[in-house]
Amino acid sequence: MNYFPDEVIEHVFDFVTSHKDRNAISLVCKSWYKIERYSRQKVFIGNCYAINPERLLRRFPCLKSLTLKGKPHFADFNLVPHEWGGFVLPWIEALARSRVGLEELRLKRMVVTDESLELLSRSFVNFKSLVLVSCEGFTTDGLASIAANCRHLRDLDLQENEIDDHRGQWLSCFPDTCTTLVTLNFACLEGETNLVALERLVARSPNLKSLKLNRAVPLDALARLMVCAPQIVDLGVGSYENDPDSESYLKLKAAIKKCTLLRSLSGFLEAAPHCLSAFHPICHNLTSLNLSYAAEIHGSHLIKLIQHCKKLQRLWILDSIGDKGLEVVASTCKELQELRVFPSDLLGGGNTAVTEEGLVAISAGCPKLHSILYFCQQMTNAALVTVAKNCPNFIRFRLCILEPNKPDHVTSQPLDEGFGAIVKACKSLRRLSLSGLLTDQVFLYIGMYANQLEMLSIAFAGDTDKGMLYVLNGCKKMKKLEIRDSPFGDTALLADVSKYETMRSLWMSSCEVTLSGCKRLAQKAPWLNVEIINENDNNRMEENGHEGRQKVDKLYLYRTVVGTRMDAPPFVWIL
Amino acid sequence: MEVSNSCSSFSSSSVDSTKPSPSESSVNLSLSLTFPSTSPQREARQDWPPIKSRLRDTLKGRRLLRRGDDTSLFVKVYMEGVPIGRKLDLCAFSGYESLLENLSHMFDTSIICGNRDRKHHVLTYEDKDGDWMMVGDIPWDMFLETVRRLKITRPERY
Repeated sequence: MNYFPDEVIEHVFDFVTSHKDRNAISLVCKSWYKIERYSRQKVFIGNCYAINPERLLRRFPCLKSLTLKGKPHFADFNLVPHEWGGFVLPWIEALARSRVGLEELRLKRMVVTDESLELLSRSFVNFKSLVLVSCEGFTTDGLASIAANCRHLRDLDLQENEIDDHRGQWLSCFPDTCTTLVTLNFACLEGETNLVALERLVARSPNLKSLKLNRAVPLDALARLMVCAPQIVDLGVGSYENDPDSESYLKLKAAIKKCTLLRSLSGFLEAAPHCLSAFHPICHNLTSLNLSYAAEIHGSHLIKLIQHCKKLQRLWILDSIGDKGLEVVASTCKELQELRVFPSDLLGGGNTAVTEEGLVAISAGCPKLHSILYFCQQMTNAALVTVAKNCPNFIRFRLCILEPNKPDHVTSQPLDEGFGAIVKACKSLRRLSLSGLLTDQVFLYIGMYANQLEMLSIAFAGDTDKGMLYVLNGCKKMKKLEIRDSPFGDTALLADVSKYETMRSLWMSSCEVTLSGCKRLAQKAPWLNVEIINENDNNRMEENGHEGRQKVDKLYLYRTVVGTRMDAPPFVWIL
Repeated sequence: MEVSNSCSSFSSSSVDSTKPSPSESSVNLSLSLTFPSTSPQREARQDWPPIKSRLRDTLKGRRLLRRGDDTSLFVKVYMEGVPIGRKLDLCAFSGYESLLENLSHMFDTSIICGNRDRKHHVLTYEDKDGDWMMVGDIPWDMFLETVRRLKITRPERY
């Protein structure tokens, strides 16, 4: 390729879009590295503390789209204190100073403030797309700045964020000239919504494809919105309570029939079940259905809806659907690729809503299934072996048995063999979550067979350090390892320090690692940030030998090229 | 998720011959004590099961009545002026229509819902707050969650 001019090579590179591929290209030779870095428009940063904005901009000056992830995954389950970090402001400030032509910003688990949103909205003339997932720290005032100042806004996608709703008029802040919206998702907002402003905005957005409403948008407003936007592809319904004979309901039914492009349905945050039937006419087109927040809807109504959804590829549902319901899914949804079954009863009332039978039925009925997240009360090795045989194509397999340490409920054995069968059969497995009673044996299997595994979540599992060592030694492609409440300690942690250079991060909480073990690790690996999160005031981590044997409550370590971060709160000790 | 369950699972696993003997393994039994054992109505943990806050809050806010084929909701039904009441399983009905039909049959008179007609008996119910309300205003499933008992009023009252 040396005899092609740079422009030609660059043109070829335009067709290479995945981050992995572009990273690979840049390693071929110096000239390719140079061409690649000037032509890279989309950058993905999996850990915002692994690099800093200055270095990012030095390497990729033509950046247009940036994806940043902040807190570790277990922050989703309240294991990471709010003030831990992941602040986006320094990034936006640096990007603004550099005058880079930013068009898209995607953030996950970061702390976003109104100030950062305001700065973002004013600094980038061509800014088009803001996607915030599981972020916090901002209010609807920040949204108002985005609405008011981003002239070419295409996407405003707020997924499951903690947003302080000031009940302001952020929706009215979109100027009348704003007609470019393609995605508008504010389902996570808890407050009142200006329905008039919303309807006018939707009416003047002919390109609107994805609209997800919050619970403050009632049924009659939904009907009017759907009349304004029959081109909608992805709809998130807000409140859905009404009388089925009312005029609004009939209007809604008529409007829904016209939405022939509708492929994805979600929301139903407060739903009266008998109204689901209004959607039956378009169900045969649906490829994605998310009813995981529809806690009011009884299984029988869910089943009635799903029976119409023959083209479904993605289904997120609550376990109130039951094993019987999953059997209906298995016989109806032959195109199903991704299934998530969430728990509907947190207090473990003993109701066996879904069991291993539902999982087996799905594996038998849905040949294209490659991703599953399944919360259940019980499991057996036999079922997992059958699932592995039926579905050798799993990419993501996450099983959560609600009661920790629960064995095979028929044989009382650990579930080592079942999970072993999964990793042995599923050669493309990239993500795995374990649960139930598990010994070191399951980790032996994982280390031996899970060659493509990139992310592993372990809770209440294993017996000795050997377990963790099997994984660290065996899984060559491991990127993210997160462990809680398992008996792994310093021996496993320190066995092969260079391994952590090949991984994005390691999380260990309520394990057996000690302070002195973590200190030794930090000494051996200066290119790692070893963070100890210690919220307990009484438990001051002291220097002297005795306390060195003190167990560390939460350990989070990650590779970085920019050293210790300066924004850590007092309860985070970076060794 | 009680301790008794996790403890017994630990003890059953120590009997398993393929596992290392207790003296070799460094099983930390304190792990099994991370879940409180006492009351069945123990408070749910904030970090288990591993679901996002939004879903956790949604589920906490819902008093989800599990209505499978084998559950029932028996409530007392009185006709005003008649001292002896009846008992009725509301789960046996699919909605207000079938409830009214059945009640009308049971009390041998016509009973209606939510209407100010002075000629018919009107069906009312006591909700979970202790208030007497007109039957029929709210969706059936919501009604099942809040109803405590039924009363068929005499026409003159209205």
